[in-house]
Amino acid sequence: MRVVIVEDQVLLRAGLARLFVDGGHEVVATLGDATTLADVVETHGPDLVILDIRMPPTYTDEGSRAARDLKSWYPGTGVLLLSQHIETAHAVDLVGQPAFGYLLKDRVLEVEEFLETAARVAGGGSALDPKVVAALVAPAVGSPLERLSERERRVLELMAEGLTNAAIAQRLDLSLRTVEAHVRHVLLKLDIPEGEKGHRRVLAVLTHLRAVHEWS
Amino acid sequence: MGLPTPRLLPGFLLAVTVVAELAAVPLSWGLEPAYDTLLFAVFSCALAGTGALILTRHPRHAIGWLLSGLGVANALTGDLAQGWGLRAAVEGWPGGTVAELIAGASWLPQAALFILILLLFPTGHLPGRRWSLVAWLSVLGVVLCGPGALEADPYAVDGLPTPFGVGITLIAVAMLAALVAALRRFRSSTGVLRQQMKWFALSSSFLVLTLIPTAMLWGASPLLPVLSAVALTLWPVVIGAAILRYRLYDVDLVISRTFTYLTLTILLGLVYAGTVVVIGTFAGQGSPWATAGATLLAAAAFKLLHRRVQERVDDRFLPARQDALRSVAAFLERLRADQAEPEQVEDVLRSSLDDPGLELWFVLQGDDPPVDARGRPATARPHDTESFAVERGGVTLGQVVWRPRTGQQRAMLPSVVAAAGMAIDMARLRVELRHRLEDVEASRARIATVADEERRRIERDLHDGAQQRLVSIGLTLRHAQHQLGSDDLGARQTLDGAVAEVAAAIDELRELAHGLRPALLQAGLGAALRDLASRAPVPVDVAATGDRYPPDVEAAAYFVACEGLTNAVKHAGAEHIQLQVARHDGSLVVSVADDGVGGAAVGRGSGLTGLSDRVAARGGNLSVDSVLGRGTRLTAELPCVS
Repeated sequence: MRVVIVEDQVLLRAGLARLFVDGGHEVVATLGDATTLADVVETHGPDLVILDIRMPPTYTDEGSRAARDLKSWYPGTGVLLLSQHIETAHAVDLVGQPAFGYLLKDRVLEVEEFLETAARVAGGGSALDPKVVAALVAPAVGSPLERLSERERRVLELMAEGLTNAAIAQRLDLSLRTVEAHVRHVLLKLDIPEGEKGHRRVLAVLTHLRAVHEWS
Repeated sequence: MGLPTPRLLPGFLLAVTVVAELAAVPLSWGLEPAYDTLLFAVFSCALAGTGALILTRHPRHAIGWLLSGLGVANALTGDLAQGWGLRAAVEGWPGGTVAELIAGASWLPQAALFILILLLFPTGHLPGRRWSLVAWLSVLGVVLCGPGALEADPYAVDGLPTPFGVGITLIAVAMLAALVAALRRFRSSTGVLRQQMKWFALSSSFLVLTLIPTAMLWGASPLLPVLSAVALTLWPVVIGAAILRYRLYDVDLVISRTFTYLTLTILLGLVYAGTVVVIGTFAGQGSPWATAGATLLAAAAFKLLHRRVQERVDDRFLPARQDALRSVAAFLERLRADQAEPEQVEDVLRSSLDDPGLELWFVLQGDDPPVDARGRPATARPHDTESFAVERGGVTLGQVVWRPRTGQQRAMLPSVVAAAGMAIDMARLRVELRHRLEDVEASRARIATVADEERRRIERDLHDGAQQRLVSIGLTLRHAQHQLGSDDLGARQTLDGAVAEVAAAIDELRELAHGLRPALLQAGLGAALRDLASRAPVPVDVAATGDRYPPDVEAAAYFVACEGLTNAVKHAGAEHIQLQVARHDGSLVVSVADDGVGGAAVGRGSGLTGLSDRVAARGGNLSVDSVLGRGTRLTAELPCVS
């Protein structure tokens, strides 16, 4: 996997690069900000771009704006956005695009899981941080999410993270059929049309969640 | 009157009067006292002028015609004839005797006209049909008197009353009857009519009161004829004003002021005379000391008496003022009984002073611009309003801004405002209180905003600083793990543990930075506090029920407990701490008591001040009970609207 890392903090940038190298990947470029990102992507044609959300000059949402641009020019290039804290606004805005992920920064400490997720995104899949998902699906009073059982909510969280039914079954130690039943129930209870796969399913879930959050 | 009223006739009569007087003045000049000549000329012109003025507005008004007639009659038969008679006697002109005869009898028709005015004022109509008899009586009297007034009664028959005698009796009877008519009209009058009659009575009384001493003491002082001439001139002017309703409602004020100054004059005269007599007895008659002392004393007495006399007289003669004071008193009574709000004083002033646009402006502090009853800055005073400063006990409370239409309203204002002083003061204090409260609330909101911003800044610092650094430490550890390879299982596990610690630290930092409620609060305040207590280095007793409160109240209570615990451990050197949470009167009361050194105060430690602001921003209040050597008790009351 050929990786470009855009991160303003030198130590972290070096650490991330080392992590990918240790994992057997190639880091083709590291950048301190997103100004030259388009050229770098053009030159190197990476599989994945790791982007910090807050970067110079304003330290607000440079990363997510660069991600949006990148997605419109190179839809196939995987983009993994890293954030220091739970910001549902950015997540809901971008997740649902193919080959896009959004994680909290400290996920990188769980090296294997992180590299797996990175590979999934580079391969065109989706990823959403469990904590961000939890913040989204925390049921507000009167929200339709209240109708879900504990287990169904957990399944919805994993769906939102971008996991397939098989992955969910593995994670929850359930049979595939049970998971499929749960997914059906969730989509039914939330009035989401069934039959979508992968990131489309995430999109459906998130669109619904966004509506719920705006409504509550 | 069936004939169309000649529109130009009143003007013509006025012109005749003026021309006659212009002729009469040089004729009489030097042959009689000058004031006689001049003031009676003015009298005639005033009569004819007022008559003409009334007739321009009310062309058929009998009083207008009567006044005009009286003016012309006086100018022609009185002044012009007399002037000719006087001048003819000096210059030897013809017709002097006839002119003097006419002048001598000129009072007769005037008396009839005067009686008619008494009968007809102010409507121009008789009070009733039978009163026409009085009019005819007066005319008959004049006719009977006529020959006798012109020369020694030519028709006198011995043994019988002379026609002149009969005539003059008839005139006197008619005059009395007309007076009775006017008095009856006065007594039964109300509203506008009443005010008109008051004006009439005022000027007529003044006329009679000056004419009687003038007649009795003719020549005693040149002042008396002048005074009576002034009264004569004023009489038609006042009649005209009353009929035209000009400043009709000021009559009470004029009467009241007249009586005030009359009373004052008498009182001061007595003071002056008494002083002169007393000092004269000791210092000798005609001593300059007596005059000086009496003047001084009279001046002092004026200052002393003026207000009191005026108040007394106003009470008697200004019914509107009485009504206003009564309604203010009633309002104050309701205010005391808690049935009215002080702010309503503005409405009370509006109605009692009869100005619906009246506004009460308050001055809250020295030079501050005034504010209205709602505490909003008062707009600039409109140019057609007047303002009156409201003072109480030497302090300026504000001003009354209004549009008085009559002098009477103006005269009433000071006493009405003084009577309402307490209510105005209360209203002002309440406005000031509200003003202050708004200030406090605004500053509280500012504090909360500043605190929020501060929290955001800290949050960013943590994210961009400590948290990132921890992540890179974690990454370094993972790299070290990678470098170790699979040889040293023990070292790998140690590094796993270190990374887990780092991850936990990042989680904690994130919670802190996000300003989230401490995770434990989700299980309830009691649970969170027990967890807090378990981590404290000294024993902490926690007394808390499982009650739940609104989230922000629980968070605030939690922070109070944290701060209290920290202070007790760090600064007070406490060995034992008690934490209590209870619901009390719709508030959550959290208290932290320790057995430390004491002596803490909200003002001194910035921590306590910040906490106090935090509690206040939620509408609560924080108290610190801390005596040196006797420990500290921190109590916060947080109202919970749940």
